[in-house]
Amino acid sequence: MRASSREGNSKVRGVLQVAAILASILIIAYGVLITEDRADPRWLGMLVVVGGLWIIALWPRRGYQLARSARPLVHLALVLAVGFGLVTIQVLRAQLLDRDRILAKASDPAAGVVDLRRYIAERQIERGRILLSDGTVIARDHTDGRGIRYRVYEGPSSYLAGYFSPGLYGAAGIERAFDRELSGSSTSGWNAWLDGILHRTRRGNDVVLSVDPRLQELGQTMLGERAGAAVLLDADSGAVLAFVSSPTFDPNQLSVPLGAPTEDVERARAYLEMLQKDGRGPLLLRPIQGLYVPGSIFKTVTAAAALQSGIATPTSVYRDDGALAVDSLVIIEQNRPDPTRVSFTLQEAYGYSLNVVFAQVGLELGAQRLEEMARAVGFEERIPFDLPVAPSQIAQTPDFLTSRAGIAETAFGQGQLLVTPLQMALLTAAVVRDGTIPEPYLVREIRSPDGGLIWSRQPKEWRRAFSGETAAALRDLMVWSVEHGYARPARIDGVTVGGKTGTAEVGDRAPHAWFIGFAERAGKRVVVAVVVEHGGSGVQVALPIGRALLEAAVQGS
Amino acid sequence: MTRRGFSLRWLELQLLVIPAAVSLIGLSMISLARVGSTRWSWGDLTVSLVFIVAVFATSFWLTLLKVQGDQILLPIVVMLACLGLLLSQRLGPSLPEGGVWASLSERQLVYLIMGLALMWVTVGLVRHFFWLKRLKYTWAVLASFLTFFTMAFGTDLGSGARLWLDLGPITVQPGEVVKVLLVLFLAGYLDDYRELITRSYRVGPFSLPPLPYLIPLVGMWGIAVLAVILQNDLGNALLLFGIFLVMLYVASGRLLYVVGGLAAFAAAFVVALRLVPRVAQRVDIWLDPWSDPTGIGMQPVQADLAFAHGHILGTGWGFGFPQAIPVVATDYAFAALGEELGSLGTVAVIGLYLALVMRGLLVASRIRNSYVRLLSVGLVSVLGLQTLIILAGTVRLLPLTGITLPFISAGGSSLVTNFLLVGLLIRASEFARG
Repeated sequence: MRASSREGNSKVRGVLQVAAILASILIIAYGVLITEDRADPRWLGMLVVVGGLWIIALWPRRGYQLARSARPLVHLALVLAVGFGLVTIQVLRAQLLDRDRILAKASDPAAGVVDLRRYIAERQIERGRILLSDGTVIARDHTDGRGIRYRVYEGPSSYLAGYFSPGLYGAAGIERAFDRELSGSSTSGWNAWLDGILHRTRRGNDVVLSVDPRLQELGQTMLGERAGAAVLLDADSGAVLAFVSSPTFDPNQLSVPLGAPTEDVERARAYLEMLQKDGRGPLLLRPIQGLYVPGSIFKTVTAAAALQSGIATPTSVYRDDGALAVDSLVIIEQNRPDPTRVSFTLQEAYGYSLNVVFAQVGLELGAQRLEEMARAVGFEERIPFDLPVAPSQIAQTPDFLTSRAGIAETAFGQGQLLVTPLQMALLTAAVVRDGTIPEPYLVREIRSPDGGLIWSRQPKEWRRAFSGETAAALRDLMVWSVEHGYARPARIDGVTVGGKTGTAEVGDRAPHAWFIGFAERAGKRVVVAVVVEHGGSGVQVALPIGRALLEAAVQGS
Repeated sequence: MTRRGFSLRWLELQLLVIPAAVSLIGLSMISLARVGSTRWSWGDLTVSLVFIVAVFATSFWLTLLKVQGDQILLPIVVMLACLGLLLSQRLGPSLPEGGVWASLSERQLVYLIMGLALMWVTVGLVRHFFWLKRLKYTWAVLASFLTFFTMAFGTDLGSGARLWLDLGPITVQPGEVVKVLLVLFLAGYLDDYRELITRSYRVGPFSLPPLPYLIPLVGMWGIAVLAVILQNDLGNALLLFGIFLVMLYVASGRLLYVVGGLAAFAAAFVVALRLVPRVAQRVDIWLDPWSDPTGIGMQPVQADLAFAHGHILGTGWGFGFPQAIPVVATDYAFAALGEELGSLGTVAVIGLYLALVMRGLLVASRIRNSYVRLLSVGLVSVLGLQTLIILAGTVRLLPLTGITLPFISAGGSSLVTNFLLVGLLIRASEFARG
């Protein structure tokens, strides 16, 4: 009887012990979830409960007869063991569970904490270089006499790298987008592990851009002091060969390392303020962040929609007698080559950039088909790229295209359209690629510090914009425009060139000068988009830059 | 256990190989990390070699004295002291010199040798415990004298409390000795009056503790604690209070004392929270150090960062930056270990302390002589409670109180006293049977 009741007791005890331990684990897990800090009163309260549960779980068995005098010792041992257990929980919480929380708190500038360890760790890393396609270095690390590691930018195109300024502004551009590669934190595997274990100075990987410095500098020189952008793509791969933005900035002046002297920080701060106050926006990477009214170059999209939907062929004839009234809007035609002529084919209308014709084409298409084509070539979407690209815009107000005037204006490239140069270059690429748009890229490959290839870009198609037939017809339009139309100055001997100029009206100021075009020679196909802000006539201002880039690109091969 | 001839303390010797190896490996890691190359010379290892010789000599000295006592306590303590020594070698060159007689690294080695030497003397002198018991009031008087003398003539080494006695080239912290003296007194007194304390008076339906015999005891303790509070040394006040409660409980077996004591403590804490700004400040920093992360909250915030950077494996000796924590070598020695040895290191250190305390209590429970037994429990409690209080402070389980982490924190008085204490424990363990 007695024995069995004791057994029953011990069974109850066993269940109680397991329950106490399980409960303590649950309480700890719950506490870690709901509390942020190890000294949160709720968490401390839970620890008291956990301590109590552990004492229940560890309480010596009844059957184990203790000498009366030994009992206080057992209790003392219990209390001390539970105390050490709670200390262990607290320290493990700090080291394992709260680790990220604590480190994030310290790296938040608002917290006002200086985590010297981060400075030291950053200093341990030699950041990878950024190179152009021929190996020209535009960004590299340099340790000065004081042991401070500065980021040094070299050459006129160094703004392509963005800037790296851990002591002040963080990072921007390629420096930001490829930070994991440059800082080496993406490196894994045996060598990275060994470097960590041996506390070797880690060297980040090199980022190689597809930009050709020869073309880049040509574009930069030709654009000169004028504000604007030029982007030159290899149509087959989508590689960016030139990526010109003007005006620009000197990333050296923004590069503030950790632990830099105060005067350096202040100088960088003043420089950035100056850049921000500069109304021309030197920090803007215009090929992808500049949004401009496209003007006549958008007629390419309208033509694409018309050809694709079958409402017109290149030889369809339209009437243009010098003016067109669409509701309250009166379109005055200034582009006719001969003021006495009133009928033009679509091909001629494209080559002579006739607004009246394209207004009619647009109205015939209607808002829906026009908008569909614009979306198909990439409008209103984030173009996949190594840097964030501003989406090009069809209309600002949702009901703009419900009016006939709005459709007419949009069809010849005014209205509320806003485009990036990259978007227009990709459109041109679709024309020469039988209707498909490549995924554009700026970074060609990642190389390890010893030059080994880690990753190489595989050219990809982004999407299909229109059919192959449409593309072929558009190609003919663009070639005709260069051979017989206003884009005639773009002709290059021995090279097939197609193009379209644009002169986009922007309020009272001088219009934006635009040129988009392609050149083909010996299997090499390149496309270009150039904009000169308030530059005036597209033919006189933007076209020469585009032509020079196309010529240099196809002849260099 | 033969009493014939010299029988080597084999278990102890075998176990001592571990701290010896750790000290050699650790020191070479520290010196190699500092120079950043793999070139080394025997000179780099001098400290470890001296340490190893001293430690093994201690074991042989115990053999020579035919000490039959426990063979596990010493290796645990030596392992902890080894970590403390390594930490001092690690931190010494990184911390600014305080214009003392030697660098932190050198001082810690000297203190360690002094501690071991004092242990040799203790083990040699204390063979029988009866005279320790007979001198119980002497210990009490000595403890009070030291406390009040420090209060009157002590100097403040920057902690806001006058805890140190300036003896020319060196400063000592009498508080460290006082707690051992208090244990010696309490063990003797409680053992003599055990019967009376255990008995209770019946007043009507209530059974009350024997107040007349407790009054002198509480008075003595009250004076000590009051003195410590007046000295602004909250950590030691808490420790002395804890020791008092533990010994009273172990001697009497009456839970009522503990409950009453804890209630009294809680009341005292609430009063202190209102009246003593230092206490309130400590509690505020404990609960929210991020409110002032570069001022009063700097210590706990930087310690949290040290723990967080340590993660699982730690940065490795010499590769962390524990010198970012103010007063790292004493208050936050555990955080420095947490950063460089990771959570594996912190758990191992906690495990070592737990092993030390449990071994000590196990040995004590086997001691038949009631005085020696009570004394052992008291001494183990000093180590256990002190470790618990400072660890709980460093990991923000409790508010931080500036006491030392036994055997690991830099500081001579603490190290020397703790080795004396271990010497007493090893001698006491000879009374264990079975």
